[in-house]
Amino acid sequence: MTDANGRAPLLAVSGLTCGYGHVGVLEDVSIEVAERQIVTVLGGNGAGKSTMLKAISGLLPVTGGTIRFAGEDITNRKPAQIVGRGLLHVAEGRRLFRAQSVMSNLELGLYGAGLARAEEKRRLDEVLAMFPMLAERPAIAAGSLSGGQQQMLAIAQALLRTPRLLMLDEPSLGLAPVIVDQVMDVIVRLRAQGCAIVLVEQLVERALEVADVAYVLRNGRIIGSGRAAELHDSELIRHAYLGV
Amino acid sequence: MDVSIVFNGLVAGCLYALAGISMNMLYRPTNTFNFAQGDLIMIAAMTCAALLGVTKLPWYLAAVLAIVLAAAISFVEYFVAIAPMIRRRHGVGWIISTLSVSLILQDIVGKAFGPDPRKVDPPPPFTTDLQTLGPLEFNSYQVLVLVFTGLMVAVTGWFYTRRTGKAVNAIAEDREAALLRGIDPNRLAWMSFLIGGVAAGVIGILAAPMLYASTGLGPLLVIKGFEVVAVGGVGSNRGALIAGCVLGVVEAVSGATLSPGYQNAATFAVVLAILLVRPAGVFGTATARAV
Amino acid sequence: MAAVQGAQSRGGHSLIVGSLVFVAALGVLPMLVRGEYVLFLCTQIGIYYLIALGLNLLSGYGGQISLGHGALVAIGAYAVAISMVDYKLSFWLAAPLALALTAGAGALMALPAFRLSTWYFALVTLGFANVVGGLLTEWRGLTHGFAGVVGIPKPALFGHVLTQGELYWLMLATCLGAFLVVRNLVASRFGRALLGLHEHAVLVQGVGASLVRLKMQAFVISAVLAGLAGAFMAVHKTVITPDDFPTDLSTFFLLVIVLGGMGRLHGALIGTLVFFIVPELLAALHDWRLLIYGTALLLLILFAPGGLAGGLESLARRLGRGGTAAADEPSGSPELQRIDGAALKVQSVSKHFGGVSALSDVTLELAPGTVHAIVGPNGSGKTTLLNLISGYYPLNGGSISIGGRDVAGLSASHIARIGVRRTFQTPKLIAELDVLENVMLGAYSDETRSLAAIGLGLPGARREARERTAEAMRYLQFVGLHKRAHDPAGEVPHGQQRLVEIARALVGRPSLLMLDEPAAGLSLSELDGLATLVNEIAKLGTTVVIVEHHLELVANLCRSVTVLEGGRILASGTPAAVFNDEKVMAAYMGKRAIAAGGEPT
Repeated sequence: MTDANGRAPLLAVSGLTCGYGHVGVLEDVSIEVAERQIVTVLGGNGAGKSTMLKAISGLLPVTGGTIRFAGEDITNRKPAQIVGRGLLHVAEGRRLFRAQSVMSNLELGLYGAGLARAEEKRRLDEVLAMFPMLAERPAIAAGSLSGGQQQMLAIAQALLRTPRLLMLDEPSLGLAPVIVDQVMDVIVRLRAQGCAIVLVEQLVERALEVADVAYVLRNGRIIGSGRAAELHDSELIRHAYLGV
Repeated sequence: MDVSIVFNGLVAGCLYALAGISMNMLYRPTNTFNFAQGDLIMIAAMTCAALLGVTKLPWYLAAVLAIVLAAAISFVEYFVAIAPMIRRRHGVGWIISTLSVSLILQDIVGKAFGPDPRKVDPPPPFTTDLQTLGPLEFNSYQVLVLVFTGLMVAVTGWFYTRRTGKAVNAIAEDREAALLRGIDPNRLAWMSFLIGGVAAGVIGILAAPMLYASTGLGPLLVIKGFEVVAVGGVGSNRGALIAGCVLGVVEAVSGATLSPGYQNAATFAVVLAILLVRPAGVFGTATARAV
Repeated sequence: MAAVQGAQSRGGHSLIVGSLVFVAALGVLPMLVRGEYVLFLCTQIGIYYLIALGLNLLSGYGGQISLGHGALVAIGAYAVAISMVDYKLSFWLAAPLALALTAGAGALMALPAFRLSTWYFALVTLGFANVVGGLLTEWRGLTHGFAGVVGIPKPALFGHVLTQGELYWLMLATCLGAFLVVRNLVASRFGRALLGLHEHAVLVQGVGASLVRLKMQAFVISAVLAGLAGAFMAVHKTVITPDDFPTDLSTFFLLVIVLGGMGRLHGALIGTLVFFIVPELLAALHDWRLLIYGTALLLLILFAPGGLAGGLESLARRLGRGGTAAADEPSGSPELQRIDGAALKVQSVSKHFGGVSALSDVTLELAPGTVHAIVGPNGSGKTTLLNLISGYYPLNGGSISIGGRDVAGLSASHIARIGVRRTFQTPKLIAELDVLENVMLGAYSDETRSLAAIGLGLPGARREARERTAEAMRYLQFVGLHKRAHDPAGEVPHGQQRLVEIARALVGRPSLLMLDEPAAGLSLSELDGLATLVNEIAKLGTTVVIVEHHLELVANLCRSVTVLEGGRILASGTPAAVFNDEKVMAAYMGKRAIAAGGEPT
């Protein structure tokens, strides 16, 4: 299970089975993400995309299979521990602390990281340089930000932990196309900076444009995968989304 | 109107506010209301009274032991009655579980200490000796209570500006989002219960000289504490302070004309009216949802 | 409940015979025992049973945890005692008076329940119990204070004062009657809606039930039962003092129903019996009762929240597996009535939450009896629009009319009553009920029999119940799930839960049916079935609106499609026109090439 360069993948999900209630139950799902790779997971509503991310980040219990990150087994570990290992999950709908200020939200991104003050300041400055619109009004409530700004804040929070792998669940949700452009640009930049990305998206074409590899989920199973460039307009995608 | 009566009411009100504040401390990280909180406060009061009455221990040592006991019970209660309920996302099972802890505590204390109320001295060097300032009659103990309450509100207010405090607020707002940021709600919760237990202990010892240490103190404080929290807005300590003071003064003033049973009824009616008009309380935040 | 029904359809006869024997045995008790103590005790059990029955209805079924029931009993007891001793009224006048008083008190207690969350409400009832306890002692003029009311006579019938044995029989008859009434209520639309009250308030409104009315009814009925118990208590004990109603009396009854099984029909009986038989046998433990209650309650709520009745039910279900598929096999497709579809007119509607605009200037017009789809990516406002039409959110601008009637400002349950039904993105089924009962809930607003008629089991009510059951079965057959009619709703797989929801919506014979993302999570074959089903529904005549994510799925089904994006209408028209619209393709698939003026790939 090594990639083209003979290295073990950064994230290796193998035979994953889990789910809650009846919607989004996963069965025997396996995906791999190499360093500096953007992997996109596509599929219709209820296919299990969010469930998969939650299983990886420890929010949902896993009933079968393993998840290995950077060589370590992280199956069913506590979410705080997984965050500490450098695997960050930006959930669907941003899930910011809307009642708290932008600055507080950023600070909370660093909670429990155990860093020295100087290091914290350095990282904050770095992140604010990357998202200058957040530095403009640090004291306003996160809930008052626009959708695009909220998405940037959520990503910024995650970046403060210098993640090796960042999982984004439908970052384009509710955003205007031009803002989606900006978000996709950020994702590409992150890859250049050395971060691997798992991108769950609804906007198939946009996702395939930035991704290296794509997986397609349907009803909790992987029905296909391949290089993103090859999957444009494929039967696989239509099958996953439209059932035809 | 006798200024001393109002002052007395203010002091009692501060004690109610303290009870409410300790309940808020446990509410924020868990979104649950501890029905056994009044009993925790009572246990500290009773233990201190018993230790002081039976042994020759110095006041502060007895107090510390009582506080440690309250903190320990609170800590255990979290794991036994609260954590399992949160884990299972059991809608309101915690009402019943904390209620049962309350019953257990009341029975044990009743058996161990008997039904008679006990008197407890205030922490030395404060006393209940009367002093006068113009028309006002007061004692140093009462001043201690007022100052301590103000201090509590200030300290808790300050705490929520710190990162740990913000993390607690984050958990209260969106538990899953907190998990995603690496915040451990469980850890913050039991820490809050531990500190909340210490607070309950201190409040018990502080309240005992005025409210008397007895098994009735528990149920009394749960209701008063809830009234304060509900009117002030759950989670708001400043609201709790104001609500407590108003409650205490109204109680004291009406006590001159009404007997306790009617006093209770009147206060209850007023609290209910406020809740029906503003379910989130006077200073309530969005986190206090009404179904 | 499902297990009880299953048992009744399978071995119903043995259960009824067993119950009759049990009741008969209780009936001949006074003739078998010498000495009054046993009778005294049994009457006491009966009194407690009535309280538990009422509390189970309110807190077990309805989910409103009340810590003030003891106060209601006190009101009933004191009302009877004072009117019989001080005003020389006969029992037969005093008791109804007591019931009226407790009913009023119950209604008052209901008021906070409308506005406050469950735990707030529990504490309010605690305060209420506290206040009543204090007043009992202090309002000496009325209640005789600490000494209480003494010398309460036994009821007299035509001059003959009832003996202990005869009082026992009266008690027994009352308990039996109360049980039958509660059983009838619980098995009716009232019970079904009550179970949904706590966790599925949105659903309950969506079938046309008024939450306020439902809660009020539950409170009053349970208060009347408590008052009845109090009335008997007064004449049973002949002396009542404030000490008979300590504040932990209410917590005690909570424990009784948790032990017996909250929200289970026989929970009250099992709980009361266990509570009595055990302590009486171990009288020495009386002093430790608080500790025992507390520990028992804690252990139960942690490890066995279904109580004893819950345990017995799952045991019965496990033993009876394989026998529940005894539902009749209907043949052929059912005869279903035609429905008059309503026209839907959405005019320039807008909605915002806080500062965020969810919908802007949305206009939609549907002819009656047509099938229409609203599509768009996630976050485009589809579900918000649905929620606006069904009345869960108020409009910020524009107007909506259904069947020519302006529905602005109408509550969700009101809109449901004029013939609107919907399904939800995540199926909302009441897990404590079986599939058939869930479907029957859909007919809530159509049922006409009053609660009194249902409770008393009057022929009209029973006939309506039979008709509704048959009708629900027909709709279950229509969606192809009649074989699962008696399965617990929680065990039905996801795709079928969707179908149950659709059957439930159809039972209400809606003139406007809205399906919220019905295709999500369905397999290929299930999708085919869904498409066929929607076609059949359209043939019945109802206007159908489908909110969906996938364009092609709805292409064959719908006459017209509206595409939403970012809260605005992107395109509207026939599926063919919309499907080929470049803007729509760009929004959906995010083809950046089109926006930049390039060739679509």
